[in-house]
Amino acid sequence: MADATTAAVTGGDATAPGGHRSGTAFWAALASPGSLLLVALFVVPAYAILAVAFGGIDPILRTTVPAWNPLDWDLERFGDVVSRVFGGDLTRVFLRTGIFAGLALVGCFVIGYPVAYYVARKAGRNRGLLLGLLVLPFWISYLMRMLAWVNLLQTDGFINRILGWLHLGSGNRNWLDGDWPTVVFGLVYGYIPFFILPLYAALERLDGRLIEASRDLGASSASTFLRVTLPLSIPGLMAASVIILLPMCGDYYTNTYLTGGSPRTEMVGNQIEFFLRGSSQPQAGASLVIILMAFLTIAMAYYLASVARSQRESAS
Amino acid sequence: MATDRRQFIHRSAQFGVLLGAGVPLLQACGSSDSGGDSKAVTDAIEDGLKPEGGPLRILNYADYVNPDTVASFEAQYGVKIEITTFDVDAEAVTKLANGSVEVDVFQSAAPNTLGRLIAGGLLQPLNASYIPNKANVLPTFDNPWYDEGSAYTVPYTVFSSGIGYRTDRIDPAKVEELGWEILWDPEYKGVTSILDDYREGLSMALLRQGITDVNTTDKALIEQAGADLGELTGLMNIKVNIEGYKDIPEGATTLAHTWSGDLLAGAYSYLPEGTDPSVLGWWYPSDDVGVVNNDCMTVTANAKNPVLGHLWINHLIDVANAEENFSWNGYLPPITGLDADYLIENEYAPENLRAAVLDDAIISKGLRFEPLDMETNQLWERTWSAFTAG
Repeated sequence: MADATTAAVTGGDATAPGGHRSGTAFWAALASPGSLLLVALFVVPAYAILAVAFGGIDPILRTTVPAWNPLDWDLERFGDVVSRVFGGDLTRVFLRTGIFAGLALVGCFVIGYPVAYYVARKAGRNRGLLLGLLVLPFWISYLMRMLAWVNLLQTDGFINRILGWLHLGSGNRNWLDGDWPTVVFGLVYGYIPFFILPLYAALERLDGRLIEASRDLGASSASTFLRVTLPLSIPGLMAASVIILLPMCGDYYTNTYLTGGSPRTEMVGNQIEFFLRGSSQPQAGASLVIILMAFLTIAMAYYLASVARSQRESAS
Repeated sequence: MATDRRQFIHRSAQFGVLLGAGVPLLQACGSSDSGGDSKAVTDAIEDGLKPEGGPLRILNYADYVNPDTVASFEAQYGVKIEITTFDVDAEAVTKLANGSVEVDVFQSAAPNTLGRLIAGGLLQPLNASYIPNKANVLPTFDNPWYDEGSAYTVPYTVFSSGIGYRTDRIDPAKVEELGWEILWDPEYKGVTSILDDYREGLSMALLRQGITDVNTTDKALIEQAGADLGELTGLMNIKVNIEGYKDIPEGATTLAHTWSGDLLAGAYSYLPEGTDPSVLGWWYPSDDVGVVNNDCMTVTANAKNPVLGHLWINHLIDVANAEENFSWNGYLPPITGLDADYLIENEYAPENLRAAVLDDAIISKGLRFEPLDMETNQLWERTWSAFTAG
């Protein structure tokens, strides 16, 4: 099977080489709209961020003057921001953002994996219904859902009332007091659908015969899960993690809404927003975007390497 | 690419000469506000032109104009009004400068950025013949510091920065006694907020220390103000936002550094049903040495409906319309006759918030946010960024 695939990919079909080349061109043409879109919506904006970060400021209006020519780039402002991020007052913002996103990822895994597993492997005829319920949150905007939680989490809100009825805690806890658990909870709540769906897709494609083989060979349910199911779902887990980690690291409204703007929960996205929207130094905001992108690229590279390794192992 | 100090001073001087020659904003911008060549528009529209067909496009803060006041203008002139919103002043300047929004009226320009907007050629002078209601504006604004001779602007609202609080949770005498210091009182930890605005926040910390130069260029003072605010993070678990208008009336916040208009708006719009407005309190320095600010209405240089823009400004400073608008947004229009006695008598403001309705004495003694030179402004911003970083 692997040989046949390799032959097809490498053009090993000796009977119709010309036809294969035209087929390749056909598929490349089909991919071109997507490629153009990628250039328009990713490459150009990414370059624009560089041009802003290394550009200047209009001396009158104090708006950004992007430096489109790399020969005109001024690295001074970027260096200043780098020094604030590495060992300066912005270090804690980056650390806090990483910790919040990491904890939220753990939360998504603990809650989301069993849900994805159940829907993919155990739900039977209810799978469609459960999938529908999983995408239900997408029908309501993220901001609306966060605003709803602001009401629920208020001192006299439903959460405290329920806890009071259950005699859990004092019943008057101020959940919106700028504490990190509320922010992490908000991130988990907001992003978990994005975690479950790709994971569900990976688990649903998992070859059931491998699980049966494991059980036939005497492995317990737990052992089968830990030694077969979980390792095979790692590519899906990685994809789900990357999908939610990237936006979580740039998030700025979850903590803003759920803590009323507490400096104790300030994330990188808040600083980016301040410098890009509300200041006379948008270069600082763009520089923060570049630094954040550099960190996230490392995570992305690890993901891509893992996927490549996994594909190699599958092929062999 | 960056402007060095020498270039900056040179350009500032050029800018000053240009302003002195024809643009009445030298005082506002000063020699240190900006560099670069002025592109100021100096010609107003001619007299006697007919209103355009619209739609009239306005750039304004969200929820900052009464929909009924909008509707009455639409009905009177048979045009539609389209409102584009922004959150912070710098965002509005960027949108106007890069052309991402094209509007006829910038309805809430901050005085300390007006000089740059004019020098950047983004605003046009007003033709007073279209704005007869200008006579209704308080005389204090005849020749405001930011716009000599009111050439480009008409004031929209005026407000002060002080402390809004709940009288059912804090004794007003205590607020009176402590003043700004009460924002550092750990008894109110977790229920206190300050304005999410770098000029307002740092100025409040300066005023707490008795420093009334809210436009200081002294690095040590600015950094000390930042350090003082930094204390609030641990001591008070401070919140940094502009939600006082609803958080105080709704009870989520007990104590807030906020704008007078927020309390007046909150008194009738955000108090839970059955709650008496007397639960709201307002403190402003008893010597009237506090920050006073106002928003300005202007017509943009590239307005497609400049006549309608003038008429809209005139509409908003009609006494009845200004009263109607105030009843909805709570921000005081500086119109003769709309004083504390009148507003309280007509139940637009409760008696306990009398001090939140600014009078001539407060407006004239108030400290103003003047334009800062680029370097100082960036120091203020960076100090604020370090504070909000926690």
